[in-house]
Amino acid sequence: MATVTFEKAQRWYAGADTAAVPGIDLEIRDGEFMVLVGPSGCGKSTTLRMLAGLEAVDGGKILLGDRDITTVPPKDRDIAMVFQNYALYPHMTVADNMAFALKMAKVPVAERRKRVAEAARILGLEDYLGRKPKALSGGQRQRVAMGRAIVRSPQVFCMDEPLSNLDAKMRVQTRTDIARLQADLGVTTVYVTHDQVEAMTMGDRVAVMKDGLLQQVDTPLNLYDRPVNLFVAGFIGSPQMNLLEATAVDGRAAIGDYLVPVDPTAAQKMRGAVTVGVRPESWRIVSDAEGGLPVRVTVVEELGADSFVYGTSGVEGTPANIIVRIAARDQVHRGDVLHVTTDPADVHVFDTETGERLSA
Amino acid sequence: MNRRPGALVYGLLAAFVVGSALPLYWSFMIGSHTRERALDTPPPLLPGGHFLDNAGRVLNTIDFWQAMLNSLIVSTVCATSVVFFSTLAGYSFAKLRFRGSSPLMGFVVMTMAVPTQLAIVPLFILMRDYRLLDTLAAVALPTLVTAFGVFFMRQYLVDAVPDELIEAARMDGCSMIRTFWTVAVPAARPAMAILFLFTFMQVWTDYMWPLVALQKTETLQIALDRLALTGQGQSTDYALLLAGTAMATVPLLVLFVLTGRQLVTGIMQGALKG
Ligand SMILES: Nc1ncnc2c1ncn2[C@@H]1O[C@H](COP(=O)(O)OP(=O)(O)OP(=O)(O)O)[C@@H](O)[C@H]1O
Ligand SMILES: [Mg+2]
Repeated sequence: MATVTFEKAQRWYAGADTAAVPGIDLEIRDGEFMVLVGPSGCGKSTTLRMLAGLEAVDGGKILLGDRDITTVPPKDRDIAMVFQNYALYPHMTVADNMAFALKMAKVPVAERRKRVAEAARILGLEDYLGRKPKALSGGQRQRVAMGRAIVRSPQVFCMDEPLSNLDAKMRVQTRTDIARLQADLGVTTVYVTHDQVEAMTMGDRVAVMKDGLLQQVDTPLNLYDRPVNLFVAGFIGSPQMNLLEATAVDGRAAIGDYLVPVDPTAAQKMRGAVTVGVRPESWRIVSDAEGGLPVRVTVVEELGADSFVYGTSGVEGTPANIIVRIAARDQVHRGDVLHVTTDPADVHVFDTETGERLSA
Repeated sequence: MNRRPGALVYGLLAAFVVGSALPLYWSFMIGSHTRERALDTPPPLLPGGHFLDNAGRVLNTIDFWQAMLNSLIVSTVCATSVVFFSTLAGYSFAKLRFRGSSPLMGFVVMTMAVPTQLAIVPLFILMRDYRLLDTLAAVALPTLVTAFGVFFMRQYLVDAVPDELIEAARMDGCSMIRTFWTVAVPAARPAMAILFLFTFMQVWTDYMWPLVALQKTETLQIALDRLALTGQGQSTDYALLLAGTAMATVPLLVLFVLTGRQLVTGIMQGALKG
């Protein structure tokens, strides 16, 4: 068991004009499930691979517990990796695949057998131990890849999008399986994904990255409730948070004629152009007389438990789609004009220029 | 996707098979007639009953078994060596990042453009200086590794071995050479079989270089050459010559039958990967 600490760890690929990861500072606690999430090319895999030892660290340090592993070769780091395409040895049986790292580490045969049997039991692979990888389904291969990591009982698991080759249903199931397994084993885990739903559901904490830089590291709920900047606000949450451009007027944010109520901290700090963020579920429908933002409904998505209304307001600065979550049985139809408003506590105010959060 | 090929495809394939098999058939067929019958116009088209006579004459005229043994030794050594070194070098070029990798590969490819005939004189001088002339070593040395082999294995391994697999082996604690054995060699096996056969055949049928490098020692091709000269004032004894040729082809045929399965799977795999 161990903590993982990145200290200004930098990776600069040969021939690139900027660093893929200019210098990341991140502390991962013992036994924590840390998810790295961000759009494609933001440096998640690079960060993970620096930890695994597959990518050289060009500056800064990486610590495992108190041990500096910056220049330690991968096999001596006591870190196991689960790859996106599983990377199983095609000519070896499932059992041999799982035992291979132990064999390399000169673990005695009896001990190897015991550990493979144990991992196979945990993962429900007992019936497949004699098969070659090509005779397995995608989900089974994924589990073998997990098994290969488990048998080593390493200090850290690294996983790079291990679910991206599964179909949607398998992905949801395996997601919970991995999260539960990790909780049972208590092994510190760094998990890379570009899927924010995966990040939110699996992580103890989530690190959101963009262009090689950490944007925010926090628990899923804190990311959702208090995104520190516009990027995180837009990235976390599905459907997306509504981001509306407004002007600060006397401690309120004006969108056309609609004055959005904001919290006192934001009211004090905001000047000029601001961006107002409201989650779809934070809108309230009000009568025409009460004012609010007028939304002309273009699409209603009925999901059973609730519905999402997509509409446009026509006011300058508002996005093409304003998304409002309503109760499923509310009668809203295409072409209706709704008036929506919200409460100060549910409004996220950002500086449009810097993207910084202004709300408390 | 189980479309059956049409008559045209079958026709073309059949023509190709006949075209490839014809020379083989021809040498066996002529080799099974008497010397006089072999010279008839029009020539015979069906096998006669004199193959064993002719084979006996071949064995009496030249030291067939010794020549065949020499050819077997040289071909096996060369093919094994080419496969071994080409797989190692091809893997390095395909998967290892090292300085000068691409210029070096470019150089290797360029050497393929140099015609072999051009190298014969310098090679001869080299062998003479090392006192290797008239030994099997002189025949084998220039073909212990070939540019084509390196190029071929590189092209194959680039696609056949996923980078992730190499990284997995590294994480599992493999040294570089161990990674080569566990990851690259199993993946390369079909290509290795093809390269082995190809090189074996190339060395087996090579005529020019052994002719230059050898004097008393004989490979099969050199020995067969002597069959052609045994006419002594008369026209060439085609029955004798072609019987010898047919006999010299037998080891190749055996090799193909033995490795045929590997070969076909290899070709199929290449096809699937596009
Ligand atoms: N081997 C390499 N050589 C040069 N540049 C690279 C290399 N690998 C990655 N990069 C660059 O580094 C940046 C970060 O890449 P990285 O693979 O870490 O992204 P990622 O966040 O994992 O993206 P994805 O979600 O698409 O996997 C990208 O801009 C990429 O183009
Ligand atoms: Mg990636």
